[in-house]
Amino acid sequence: MADLVESAEQAELRATLRRLFGGPSACLARPEPESGGCYDAKLWGVLAEEIGLCGLAIPERYGGSGYSRADRAAALHEMGRCLLPSPFLASAVLAVETLLATGDEDVLTDVLPGLSAGTTLATVAYRETPGGDRRPVHAARDGAGWLLTGSRSFVLDGCQADFVLVPAETESGISLFAVDAVSAPGLSRCPMRTLDPSRPQARLDFSATPGRLAGDPGAGAIAARTGVAHAAIALAAEQVGGAERCLEAAVEYAGMRRQFGKPIGSFQAIKHKCADLLILVESARSAARYAASVSSSPAAGEDLFATAAFAGAYCSTAYLTVAAENIQIHGGIGFTWEHHAHLYFRRAKASEVMFGTPLEHRTFLARHLGLSASPPPEP
Amino acid sequence: MIIVRIDNVQSFVLEFEGWLEGLGVRRRRPDQVGAGDFSVAVFDDQTPEEERAAVDRGRDWERTKYDAGWGAVDWPERFGGRGLPPAFSAALRAAEQDWDLPRRNELFAVTQHMVAPTVREWGTDEQIEHFVRGLLRTDIMACQLFSEPEAGSDLAAVRTRAVRDGRDWVLSGQKVWSSMATCAQYGEAICRSDPDAPKHAGLTAFMVPLDRRGVTIRPIRQMTGGACFNEIFLDEVRVPDTLRIGPEGGGWQVAQTTLSAERSDSGGLGTGTVDKLLALARHRGVSSPALVDEIVQLWIHDRVLVLNNQRTVAETQAGQTAGAQGSLGKLAATTNMRRTSDVITLLLADELIADTGEWGTFAWTEQVLGAPGYRIAGGSDEIQRTIIAERVLRMPRG
Repeated sequence: MADLVESAEQAELRATLRRLFGGPSACLARPEPESGGCYDAKLWGVLAEEIGLCGLAIPERYGGSGYSRADRAAALHEMGRCLLPSPFLASAVLAVETLLATGDEDVLTDVLPGLSAGTTLATVAYRETPGGDRRPVHAARDGAGWLLTGSRSFVLDGCQADFVLVPAETESGISLFAVDAVSAPGLSRCPMRTLDPSRPQARLDFSATPGRLAGDPGAGAIAARTGVAHAAIALAAEQVGGAERCLEAAVEYAGMRRQFGKPIGSFQAIKHKCADLLILVESARSAARYAASVSSSPAAGEDLFATAAFAGAYCSTAYLTVAAENIQIHGGIGFTWEHHAHLYFRRAKASEVMFGTPLEHRTFLARHLGLSASPPPEP
Repeated sequence: MIIVRIDNVQSFVLEFEGWLEGLGVRRRRPDQVGAGDFSVAVFDDQTPEEERAAVDRGRDWERTKYDAGWGAVDWPERFGGRGLPPAFSAALRAAEQDWDLPRRNELFAVTQHMVAPTVREWGTDEQIEHFVRGLLRTDIMACQLFSEPEAGSDLAAVRTRAVRDGRDWVLSGQKVWSSMATCAQYGEAICRSDPDAPKHAGLTAFMVPLDRRGVTIRPIRQMTGGACFNEIFLDEVRVPDTLRIGPEGGGWQVAQTTLSAERSDSGGLGTGTVDKLLALARHRGVSSPALVDEIVQLWIHDRVLVLNNQRTVAETQAGQTAGAQGSLGKLAATTNMRRTSDVITLLLADELIADTGEWGTFAWTEQVLGAPGYRIAGGSDEIQRTIIAERVLRMPRG
């Protein structure tokens, strides 16, 4: 049975992070990234070195602290509340989980200690560049090594990462490769304009770029799919944190803002809206905790994918609704550039799409529930 | 703080099931599409005779269970319980679904989960002695006498008068929407004892014996065609002061105890119905991708509701204050009932509005016609939203 109760340690971790991030109403995202990018290197240092956040769900033999994914989810909840711009999701979740799924001891021993310490950053480039520029990545043998050619887009932290994991076509099917993003020849990285300024993405073009095989040949698709499922579950926890903060902000403002001689929060139209939002937030919390608990179990197996789709579908929709209604309850001030409300809306909208849209998740679930004759979509 | 290990709950359920087997109770066969009884009724629409027979069967079973120590397991020993956390009784109730046992209708929930805790909290030692074991064992069945024609959502506006006369009170007025009152021996009544006091302060609660002279009970036929609700006329009904529950003028607080028990007891409403819809959809096959998506969305909402309820139980048993989701249960449940009605309409289409005789199709009209009732009963959706906004989110009162 899934553990739906937050542990005392998780509550403590959240309290520590909340203080560190500047308290319950802090918002760390900015509408326009500063010249050095949107990440705060000093804060990242504290999180990585002092708190050891990146290694939370990494086994001790790879330099992590061996806590569970549910503990990591507690941390993501707090990051979501304050819209912390950080490479955590791409590196400590998406890349780490994709690597762990390969089971490649040599690679894991080489790279996980750095990811665990937060001193190296990684990401996964698994989304094709769409349209006329579409060039699926192929890997060809080159002596003892491999050379990758093709294009990928929507790569989370693609310009910030030290190395990139790339599922690429080979003779034995899709295999996973690690590419040195800093010094590998034939790699060009180009930042993409993003809807959410606190979450950078990039387009990566590979031209005979050397890569190191990670995992068995042909096992790259399942590794990436597993990594994305864990990322969707982690994102669900972050979405709950953001939604929780949006509802707090809306309720707080409704108690303060006066019209017709009364706080607008005393009007039923506003009260009833907030009650409905609370149902969304609490339901999303239950769904995200359930998913984190399932993902913490080594025996999750195929359940992992259905659970990720379930939590992703529900929490994405819930967060977007709460973020949109937060703007509505704030009225005109909520529509301004200076107010935080749009930053939450941007994050909610980007998160809705990032590891599968709600419709993609539900299409997968339809198949899982035996309701659809069409084959399940590949992520 | 008692930390309950899940495996303890599981072994407790296994022990219970062993006891059921020993009694010769049979395990229910899993739902088979196309065979056996099919009901997705929201309210029990039965003739008065059927209703009485169903209540009698239920009471026999509750007594057997109570006497063997499997009844009120989450109550202290002095009430015949075992002092276990609520998770244990919830687990037993869930396990009972799998066995061929009498169905617990609403009167049992009112008697055992709403009125019994109210008497325990507000009653005198004598009242607790007289009522609580009887209510838990269902020797005494009790309904609510709360709503009135002019006091629906505005419950504190009740006009039924309670006038002191020596050691007695004389009650006069009209109560309405009492579930299965014809099968109850007592009604928990909220009456106006002081018309001059402020609205909420002038109320007093009583346990009214329904066989007294001056009590008339009339079934109300509701839109489903059935008649499980009643209106009750009180015409100078004499009730001794020993049946007053809580202090004079404390009726509003007593009512709150009953109603909050109802809100937390209602989260499970309608669960299991979505599984039946899913089974039907699989059996028939659904070709429209849009309809498949509607069904998946319903399934997701249903799953979330179940998780919310499980989280409430788990948080309580871990010694934490249950999160806000506990008070959201009823509203979330009625919202899902309406969603279920919407999706079954798309799935059955013509077969919902005219009976072809096909198994498990037209019977869904009972769900569709019953669902609107639960959005009103026990505090309308709108009242639930106001309560959530004011008590959980602490928004300013209007």
